[in-house]
Amino acid sequence: MTGALPAAPRVLLLVPARTYRAADFLLAATRMGLDLVIGSDGALPLGGRPVIPVNPADPDRSASLITARCGPVAAVIAADTPMLELAAEVAVRLGLAHNPVEAVRNAADKSRQRQHWAAAGVPQPRFQIVPSADGGAVRDAAAAVGFPCVVKAVSLSASQGVLRAGDPVAAAAAACRIRSVLASAGRPDSEPLLVEEYLPGSELSIDGLLDRGHLTVTAVFDKPRTPDGPTFEETLLVTPSRLPAPVLAAAVATAGQAARALGLSHGPIHAELRIQDQDGQAQPAMLELAARCIGGLCSRALRFPGGQTLEELVLASALGQPVPATRHDPARSAGIYMLPVPRPGRLRAVEGRDRAAAVSGITGLTITIPVGQQVRPLPDGDRYLGFIFAEAGTRHEVEQALTAARDQLRVTID
Amino acid sequence: MSDLAAQVTAALGRSVLPSVIARGGAVRVVGADTHGVVTLEVAGSPGAVFPLASRIEAAIRAAVPRVTAVRLVAPGTGPSGSAAGPADSPAEAGLAAAARQLLDAEVNPAIAAHRGRVTVTGADQGWIRIRLEGGCQGCSLAEVTIRQGIEPLLRTRLPAVTGLIDTTDHEAGTDPFFSPEKR
Repeated sequence: MTGALPAAPRVLLLVPARTYRAADFLLAATRMGLDLVIGSDGALPLGGRPVIPVNPADPDRSASLITARCGPVAAVIAADTPMLELAAEVAVRLGLAHNPVEAVRNAADKSRQRQHWAAAGVPQPRFQIVPSADGGAVRDAAAAVGFPCVVKAVSLSASQGVLRAGDPVAAAAAACRIRSVLASAGRPDSEPLLVEEYLPGSELSIDGLLDRGHLTVTAVFDKPRTPDGPTFEETLLVTPSRLPAPVLAAAVATAGQAARALGLSHGPIHAELRIQDQDGQAQPAMLELAARCIGGLCSRALRFPGGQTLEELVLASALGQPVPATRHDPARSAGIYMLPVPRPGRLRAVEGRDRAAAVSGITGLTITIPVGQQVRPLPDGDRYLGFIFAEAGTRHEVEQALTAARDQLRVTID
Repeated sequence: MSDLAAQVTAALGRSVLPSVIARGGAVRVVGADTHGVVTLEVAGSPGAVFPLASRIEAAIRAAVPRVTAVRLVAPGTGPSGSAAGPADSPAEAGLAAAARQLLDAEVNPAIAAHRGRVTVTGADQGWIRIRLEGGCQGCSLAEVTIRQGIEPLLRTRLPAVTGLIDTTDHEAGTDPFFSPEKR
């Protein structure tokens, strides 16, 4: 059922300490019979297989340590965002096909994304980069892009540090709040902010794999309930997309153009776009792009011919195996409900899980924040309470099942 | 692949795999005998798959009426499940004890640095069942600790060990050393 390899290629998997993605990549590697070497900033060396301690904040030194200790490998994979730059640096040193380090840096910084896309003519919101905490500069930038606008941290993801503002005073207040989020995240005071035009319209995400710049799409998710702000919790994701084929094709072309404009050429991408109505024409515009798979546990909603998972496709692609030109099984609709943190405090209980799991069409429910932990909603927090998964014959049934399951949950935070 | 195995594989893809993958596991057909007994091999997190056993059997028997029973096995044991002795035999008890001794001597002192502990809860046909506790329960790197650390160590030092089955309820962990974050 899986694409087991004839030999056991050795693969370096870089796993950050705080990730949802470790188990799925390890499972994929096991199913493919790969010989793994792990680099991590959290895993303990226990005398089993190699675990190389690395510091993703110091990619140069960590890459030297890895190349000295890991031996020959056929591919290097970052399991999640914090390891992307280190993976690129290691790949350069080992002569493996990978994205250039500079391209990965471009993708990790929203201001650099905007600048590269502007230079390449990629459709996107009007934007201004504000280099300092000066409230006046933020107000001027917001006035330049028009209201409503969106103020963003350039280095965070998962909608953390993103706020919509309807007027100059709100824009300055949003910038202040985001500075505080950045300080909590350990980011430097000198980091710029992005102020951009708010684009109305439906939102979607496109996942795919690049091979020498050519994009093969693995999944397209509609995000039917993305809020209008002030915060932008991702909640409902449903695949396949309901968009007409020509609009979808234009969105995929835009995502591919955006990836290449950043210099990306290999491996997974996760692109987020909005579809605007311009004079009766549906036009895609880039919001963001990351040089990795879809985040959290969302990839578990996907399955491919032969029962392969997205992580298996990523590993196979990194090993130079062709990626089949097919997406998530188009005969079945699937979806995820990412449970946002509703308010700050200490999580006391998530009740109703059995009832939620029993809703017809629900295939999984995972709560990922332990009871007893402090939680913070967006724009301050960076975690979701958990994930609900569904599969059914139609998109509508998936959406209904996810919503009904969500409604069964009672979250207590005090 | 026999006709029955092919039908069960198709049924798995339609109605079982989504639930299993959503929980972080995987299953595949490794055997289907003439009496309609189907054997499925479990990969990934067995703790996430085995609780679904009755639902999986019901779904397969509903889709393929020729199926009379469904067995779940860990990787490597195959349809006969004969990698080592039967569960609870003296040999298995001895293997569990040896694993326990090795983990207490070489693994628990190390993972105590992350407030963690691993305990052996049993052995079955060469498979050691473990439970992670403390900082390891629900930790985002628990799978790395098991698959790169504990499992290869046990397999190297105790040749009768086929592999590990993690029976931990990771969702119930209240104090994981590393909590996952969405990036």
